[in-house]
Amino acid sequence: MNGGPLVSVRGVHRRYGSGATAVHALRDVTFELAAGTMTALVGRSGSGKTTLLNIIGGLDRPDSGTVLVDGTDVTALDEDGLSLLRREKVSYVFQTFGLIPVLSAAENVGAPLRLARVPPVERERRVALLLELVGLAAHAEQLPAELSGGQQQRVAIARALAASPRLLIADEPTGQLDAETGLSVMALLRGVVESEGVTALVSTHDPTMLALADRVIRINDGHLDEHPGMRSDGQLDGRSNGRGDS
Amino acid sequence: MLRLVARRARAQWPLLAALLAVAVVGPTLLGACALLLTRTAEQALETAASRATPDQIDVTAYTVTIRGEHARSVADDIRAALTSALAPFATTTAARASSAMRSLPGAGVPAVAYLSGVEDLPARTQLADGRLPRAGAAPAESVVLESTARQLGLTVGSRVSLGRELADDPDQGIEVSVVGIVRPLPGTGWERDPLAATGYDLAYRDGRSAQSVHAYGPFIVDLADLLGGGSTLDRLEIIAHPDLSAPDRRDLDTVTQVVLGADRRLGQTLGDRVRIQRVASRLPSTLLAAHDQQRVTTAAVLAVAAIGLVLTATALALAGRLSAGVRGDETALLSALGVGRGQLAGASLVEAGALAVLATAVAIPASSALHAGLTRLPPMAGAGLATPFGVNAAQVLSVAGGALALAAVLVVPSLRTSSGGVRGRRELLARSGADLLLVALAAIGWWQLHDQPTSSGSPVDTVRVLAPALLLIAGSAVTLRLVWPALRVVERLAVRARGLMVPLAAFEAARRPQAVAAGLLIGLGCAAATYGIGFDATWQRSQQDQADLSVGTDLALTLTAPPAAGQGPVVGAASGGEVSPATDRGVAVGQWLGGAGDPPRLIAVDTTRAEALLRGRLNDGRTWNAVGTLLAPPTRAAGVPVPAGAALSLAGNATGPTPLTVTPRLLLQDATGLRTPCTGAPIPLDGTAHPLPDCATAEGLRLVAVSLPLAIATGNVGTGHSDALADPPAGDSRVAVTLTVAGTASGASPWTATSAGPAPGQLGNPAVALTSTSAGTELRMTTTVALKGPPDAARNLVATAFPAPGPVPVAVSARFADEVGARRGSRLDLTVGLTPVQVSVAEVLPAVPSAPGAAAILADFDALSRALAVSGDFDVPVDAWWVGHPARGDAADLRLGSVTTRASETARLTGGPLRAGLPAVLRLLVPAAVLLMIAGIVLHVTFDLRARAVEMARLRGLGMTRREIRTVLLGQHVGILLPLLAAGAVVGALATRVVAPLLVRSDTGAAPVPEVLPVWPWAAEAALLTGLLAGCALAVSAVVVVQARLADAAYLRVAS
Repeated sequence: MNGGPLVSVRGVHRRYGSGATAVHALRDVTFELAAGTMTALVGRSGSGKTTLLNIIGGLDRPDSGTVLVDGTDVTALDEDGLSLLRREKVSYVFQTFGLIPVLSAAENVGAPLRLARVPPVERERRVALLLELVGLAAHAEQLPAELSGGQQQRVAIARALAASPRLLIADEPTGQLDAETGLSVMALLRGVVESEGVTALVSTHDPTMLALADRVIRINDGHLDEHPGMRSDGQLDGRSNGRGDS
Repeated sequence: MLRLVARRARAQWPLLAALLAVAVVGPTLLGACALLLTRTAEQALETAASRATPDQIDVTAYTVTIRGEHARSVADDIRAALTSALAPFATTTAARASSAMRSLPGAGVPAVAYLSGVEDLPARTQLADGRLPRAGAAPAESVVLESTARQLGLTVGSRVSLGRELADDPDQGIEVSVVGIVRPLPGTGWERDPLAATGYDLAYRDGRSAQSVHAYGPFIVDLADLLGGGSTLDRLEIIAHPDLSAPDRRDLDTVTQVVLGADRRLGQTLGDRVRIQRVASRLPSTLLAAHDQQRVTTAAVLAVAAIGLVLTATALALAGRLSAGVRGDETALLSALGVGRGQLAGASLVEAGALAVLATAVAIPASSALHAGLTRLPPMAGAGLATPFGVNAAQVLSVAGGALALAAVLVVPSLRTSSGGVRGRRELLARSGADLLLVALAAIGWWQLHDQPTSSGSPVDTVRVLAPALLLIAGSAVTLRLVWPALRVVERLAVRARGLMVPLAAFEAARRPQAVAAGLLIGLGCAAATYGIGFDATWQRSQQDQADLSVGTDLALTLTAPPAAGQGPVVGAASGGEVSPATDRGVAVGQWLGGAGDPPRLIAVDTTRAEALLRGRLNDGRTWNAVGTLLAPPTRAAGVPVPAGAALSLAGNATGPTPLTVTPRLLLQDATGLRTPCTGAPIPLDGTAHPLPDCATAEGLRLVAVSLPLAIATGNVGTGHSDALADPPAGDSRVAVTLTVAGTASGASPWTATSAGPAPGQLGNPAVALTSTSAGTELRMTTTVALKGPPDAARNLVATAFPAPGPVPVAVSARFADEVGARRGSRLDLTVGLTPVQVSVAEVLPAVPSAPGAAAILADFDALSRALAVSGDFDVPVDAWWVGHPARGDAADLRLGSVTTRASETARLTGGPLRAGLPAVLRLLVPAAVLLMIAGIVLHVTFDLRARAVEMARLRGLGMTRREIRTVLLGQHVGILLPLLAAGAVVGALATRVVAPLLVRSDTGAAPVPEVLPVWPWAAEAALLTGLLAGCALAVSAVVVVQARLADAAYLRVAS
């Protein structure tokens, strides 16, 4: 199920502000993600996790360095190109779920499909399938405010998978959930990675979640803590929990 | 806590500045209205008084029968009383006195004459010969009118002996010398002369005897000579004219009260030195009318202020709610830190109080500047109400009060505590209750307005002030409830779309019910603005309609004296329009004389030119031409042309031994249709031709009727005096009379001979024949006179150039029809002067031109004068000249009477000092509403988008471009704006339709006539709505563009 690297991050720097007050969010970050894997990005608050995720997802731009996603140089894309990237290849799951409050669970899930102008019949079929996948078929018409945190995050995951992305970026997806719910959400993520063949990059600081990841990358003060070595197959080697292929 | 407020103010100064900007609008409007109602109102009253015509403010004392020895003292006392009554205004007086009739021994027939004294004679007469009289000469010097001089053969230097007074008092005759001959100038009071400045009356009856005598006069002497000459004064009138060029309102009020009691005080002063005295003046009613009008304007200005306040309060409620939302986290934190509700409320109060103080500080100069600017723009500038920048106490109090009240509105949302669903339900219930209460209050207000025919007498008419605001806010609240279901429909439709932008915009629009305050502000602002324009148009239209109907034509020249033959073309040349003589006077309908002081009015004009002459709104699509066609005779009377200066003679004979005389009266018509009589002296029917007086005094005259009252000659025949015998002889006499008009030839137009009432049987076989000869045109009239019969039988042979008209077709006003019970086809008997005229109702009109709201009758002037003429009445009543489409404004220079034009009346009604405040303040309402609305929209959209910044970032995370996000946001907000603006326009239109006609009042505060028609100026409203939509869209776009630009990863980072 795993192929070549889907994501290749090389020498990425990102600084906020200037002069003495400048904050170096990322410093020479380089790594690769193999397709079809679930990678956990761990680090303390302010370590640069979200910045890295935003840069990979095209929500932010690095000061230097390159990011390739499925062969596309994200850093070279203009605004429209980045939007297209996010629409077709990259999906997000946010810590705060990121659901549109005025849309029902089904409508939230269907939003990426509408953006892709999928015909209504196919869209509804896919939405139903995904809600079934995340176990929320019975809550399709409920608004986010009427769902629990865990349910909202499940909806967010379903929405992230709706457009069949190549890369799923999840920024602290369990950050606002209790441990049990968080675990179930991570298990869901793990499941969809396997069932949908999607590559997932999940930031978290919850050690209990790491067991579900194929690979763990640690970031500290903008540096990857352990520079993974380049493997003979050309991929960068991070720290593996033994579940992955690296 | 004060430190917290201060620090928060520093940190959130843009928010507070926005709140302050909104909070300033209402008090500014209130302050400007306060200045309009105090400073400008006072100025308006003073300006109106200073512009009043003399007849509106002059005070006239009339006294009757003053013995000679008291004449001077009475005149002095009257002057003193009037001057005192009008103090402190400088007053000028003008006196006019006429003596009792004295015999005129040298006239050869029973004749009388009288003396007059007129102050300021050079301004009232034009000297034709000689000079004006001097005081103190012996014998007394006098001037006479040209007509008097001609009748009595007087020239400069003549001496005339006047005999004793006809009254019982023994007195000596006096002699006067004629030093000049004058012409009376029109419009200078000669209508009050005993003979109305005609100079003579050959059938004068002084009331003491049934026998008529010749009367001549006036012999105008110096007033001092008359007052000191010992003659009994038959009448003495003194007119006092106050100088109101720079009046003070309090002085005007004082004078009004004093003038109201002047009659009683003058009576006490004069005692029994006079037989009758009366003080008359329109000054009190003029000032009272001004106060009434001011009350009407005050109510309208306050109504606008109320709408402005409601709008501002809504905007502030929105701003308060938004700021409370922004500060929600801060409030929660403070609460968590242990700050109590009281302390939070205290902080809010301090902040609101500071805002109120700042708003007051800004609004006072702003309202002064706004007021000063407003008064420099039309219509107030044109009304003479331009005012410099100024501040007064009422304005300061209004502004401060308004600012504090609005600050309270602002502070309420910040005092609320969040309690989740309970609060939501409570708010929903409260809103529903408030909506119902508003609707109920609006309904009561409308019912009160509808049921209340006139403004209340109180200085401030509460219903009129509050009703529009209530209706607008109730309507906006109700329609707001309908907007959300409409958006739900849009939402359901949008679900079917394939893309995301349209559905998302529709979902956002339909599923965010928290924007109630913003929706209410937008709806109310739009409603207020559209209502302001609609009410202004309705008011303007009503004033125009009132002016049209009250004048009745384009230009009305109300005569102070009966018109002379040939006057029509002169008026036509001066005005350059279509000219018609007009009758406008009270008549009796059968036994009905109308209400108290309000007799039925008879209006008669040339209705063949109705479309050009008549003004006033007709209903049911009728035109004045159509009405005129019903009233006018089918053809004009051709008559016999009478060239200017043509000699007219009359010869007749009568069979039998009884000598008969005839006193011929000719009815001459000029080119405008004016018919004037020309009366000759009694002529014996002796077979010889007798010249008639100079009747052909103007070009273009035509003889249209001849009246020949026959009488049995007495010894006075030939001297101009005839009388019926007490015991007339028996038998008949065959009479033939020929009237020759020299130098003309006439076609064979048909003439008709009749015997006029009241005893037409006294004449048999009346006939008339028209022949043209080389000498001119001869009109031969024959009849057989029954000599036996009642001595007062008219025996009046009347020949007319038209057939007997039958009942005169008339159109009557709806009020007349109601009061008399008349309808189409009804026949009624009018008494015009002393002549009965039968009329048939051909049409019922809403109102008759120049008689708004009156029981009135409209007739064709030709038809009416024909009916009078066949009755032997040649004194066709002419009270005015009506002119349609005047091209020049020279009619007033003719000094024939007062000139009123439709345009000037419209200008008075729409831009007079007492009214100009209303359109001005209405025009203030529109920008204020637009300003508040757009400010509210900007506030709402800004706060909304800031609150949704994370959501926008998430949309970007989903792959939406900034352009798509902007489209969604614009679609959402414009999607909400459109129905809200449409709903506001509907409410504005409804308010214009339902309330505006009830708010428009006449001068007196009563419902105007004609009925007010609501006007919805489509072009102006469409322009306003387009502008509003464009302005709102622009404001929303600006905010959306800025906010969408901020929707980037930064928000995602913050959120995460």
